Amino acid sequence: MKMTTHRTRTTSFAFALALLASLAVHGRALAALTTPQMVDLLKIVDDRQKNNGDWRANAYLEQKEKDKVDVVYETEYYRRSSDQKFMILFLKPKSSAGQGYLRIDKNLWFYDPSVGKWERRTERERIGGTNSRRSDFDESRLAEEYDPTDEGEEKLGAYTAHKLLLKGKSGIDLAFPMIRIWIDKDTKNILKRQEYALSGRLLRTSYYPKWKKVRSESKGADVWYPEEIRFYDEVEKANQTLVLIKAVDLHALPANLFTKAWLESKSR
Amino acid sequence: MSKLFVDLMIAFRSLVQHRRRTLFLGTAIAAVTALLVLLTGLSTGVRETMIDTATTLSTGHVNIGGFFKVTAGQAAPVVTDYKRVIEVAKKTVPEMEFVVHRGRGWAKVVSDTGSMQMGITGIDVRSEPKFASVLQLVSGKLDDLAEPGTILIFDNQAEKLGVKVGDAVTISAPTTRGTNNTVDVRVVAIAHSLGLLSTWNSFIPIDTLRKLYQFNQDSTGVVQIMLDRKDLDRKIPEISARLRTALEQAGWRVMDADPRAFWMKFQSVSREDWTGQKLDVTSWEDEISFMTWTLKALQGMSVVLIAILIAIIIIGIMNTMWIAIRERTREIGTLRAIGMHRREVLWMFLLESIMLGLFATVAGVAAGAGIASGLNAMHLHVPTGLQFFLMSPFLHISIHGSALVQAVVTITLVTAVAAFYPSLRAARLRPVVAMSHFG
Repeated sequence: MKMTTHRTRTTSFAFALALLASLAVHGRALAALTTPQMVDLLKIVDDRQKNNGDWRANAYLEQKEKDKVDVVYETEYYRRSSDQKFMILFLKPKSSAGQGYLRIDKNLWFYDPSVGKWERRTERERIGGTNSRRSDFDESRLAEEYDPTDEGEEKLGAYTAHKLLLKGKSGIDLAFPMIRIWIDKDTKNILKRQEYALSGRLLRTSYYPKWKKVRSESKGADVWYPEEIRFYDEVEKANQTLVLIKAVDLHALPANLFTKAWLESKSR
Repeated sequence: MSKLFVDLMIAFRSLVQHRRRTLFLGTAIAAVTALLVLLTGLSTGVRETMIDTATTLSTGHVNIGGFFKVTAGQAAPVVTDYKRVIEVAKKTVPEMEFVVHRGRGWAKVVSDTGSMQMGITGIDVRSEPKFASVLQLVSGKLDDLAEPGTILIFDNQAEKLGVKVGDAVTISAPTTRGTNNTVDVRVVAIAHSLGLLSTWNSFIPIDTLRKLYQFNQDSTGVVQIMLDRKDLDRKIPEISARLRTALEQAGWRVMDADPRAFWMKFQSVSREDWTGQKLDVTSWEDEISFMTWTLKALQGMSVVLIAILIAIIIIGIMNTMWIAIRERTREIGTLRAIGMHRREVLWMFLLESIMLGLFATVAGVAAGAGIASGLNAMHLHVPTGLQFFLMSPFLHISIHGSALVQAVVTITLVTAVAAFYPSLRAARLRPVVAMSHFG
């Protein structure tokens, strides 16, 4: 009799455990995003930042490095959605004035007026020696460039965020082949990014504390952009870069703007 | 014949009779022989390692390189239409073991924490039969080097750049027209350092190198011909001359023979007033001429050491022989009195020394070869500073049969020569004086 009671209790306990496990699995399945859902989420993130036209803005880059004097660069940058053209022109300090980056046909060129030469650079290029990359200033193309994996939800202060691991698609020149990204569940703005090498080494952590919107005529909707980005170097721990984006102008730019000749003329 | 046998028996018995002296002197000769074997083995080992390493990392046994000049002042280490060059080489050098082609470059490699200038060799890792056998990987996979946008570096470079397998580095170099270009590559393999040559060398797929320098598909840096090792010393000058003639007959302009590495010729080539393609035929010794001094220094040191050791043997043998003759003066007198000729006394003592020398050197050679095999089997790591010159992380002593025979013959001859004068003095002793000797 005693033995039978014991057996009944064991069976009930096992059943309860199985039920709990099944609920946990089911719960997780409910929480986890499917691949199409993740791609859709990335498309929303991209679309919010897309302008479908021209873009001009000022960017201030403050670079802090260990044992070095802080440097602030004032730049003007331009982009065109239709053919993914992109250009940055350095205005200050005087030593860097006239330098610039120009992206044509997926090739990134750097111009230094002190030597008068163009150099082809890759997407890993640190803009002006800071910890920012060209893609940090461009329209977001996450859905096009990366394959996502869901890592659940996570609290970032007061915000609840979708956490995704993005792996770069082959054949695309990317600044970082692997990114962990936190997307605000409510606004779909990026809150935080961690950028990795393929070895899994963490290279950079980026925070996006301020997002702003501006009305775009060409898009017929609002365009969101990060007004402030903070980059923390995870390799050289003491180094960090602050990027402030100001004076966004979405009016059409001259047709001949994205040319080597235009950039060269700015230093004459 | 029986006379020689009797003489040998006498010499042998005499050695056995004076076993303490025989053992002492024999051990000394054996030790010197073993040392000679080890020194020669070390020198040969370094040479072989140098050839293997150099012919894996930076040169073939015979190379068809050259320069392409877009303008008179700009020279690039490029061979255009390389497939036709290979065809000519295959026809002209039937004794070749195999032929490969590689791209040559010099670039700045930038990681997230550092940068360094290094040689960039473009290879097709799948067509390199010996590459894997010389390199010892610390991490990563060599096969991954077949993928575009990858790089193999050495552990000292990985340390300096602060990278590991999977990390990305940017390679930046000027194209032949002078525009700086860059490519991003992923570290797929890190190999053990191979000394001097691996300090500034790295490997990327040849297509990535072409992309960096914007070369055409029919361009390479050098065509490397590999020969059988036995042909290395005697055939290379003849093969080089044959290749020069064949390439000229096929329509190429060929540079005059210049026994320097290709990168040492940039200045002189840039000064010359020509444009287009010129080929250059060099040997492996030419390509590493800037570092063969290490081998020569080692060989020089070995010669000095061996000379000192031989001098010690000569002094030891002469001294021992003087003692032996002094001890055996009455015996010599008796032998002379019963009719033994001076020549026979000389022969008796010489034979004794030769026999001692032979036994001792054979034992020394066996000991030397045994120690060398043991050291090789232990895979002894050499200090980092020494690796730089030895071009290998491990100690490698190369023992060949011919070197062993040479050691036996040399030391035995030295023993005989050292024993000659004391033996001559013994033979010259007058029987009456010798018999009345007390000592």
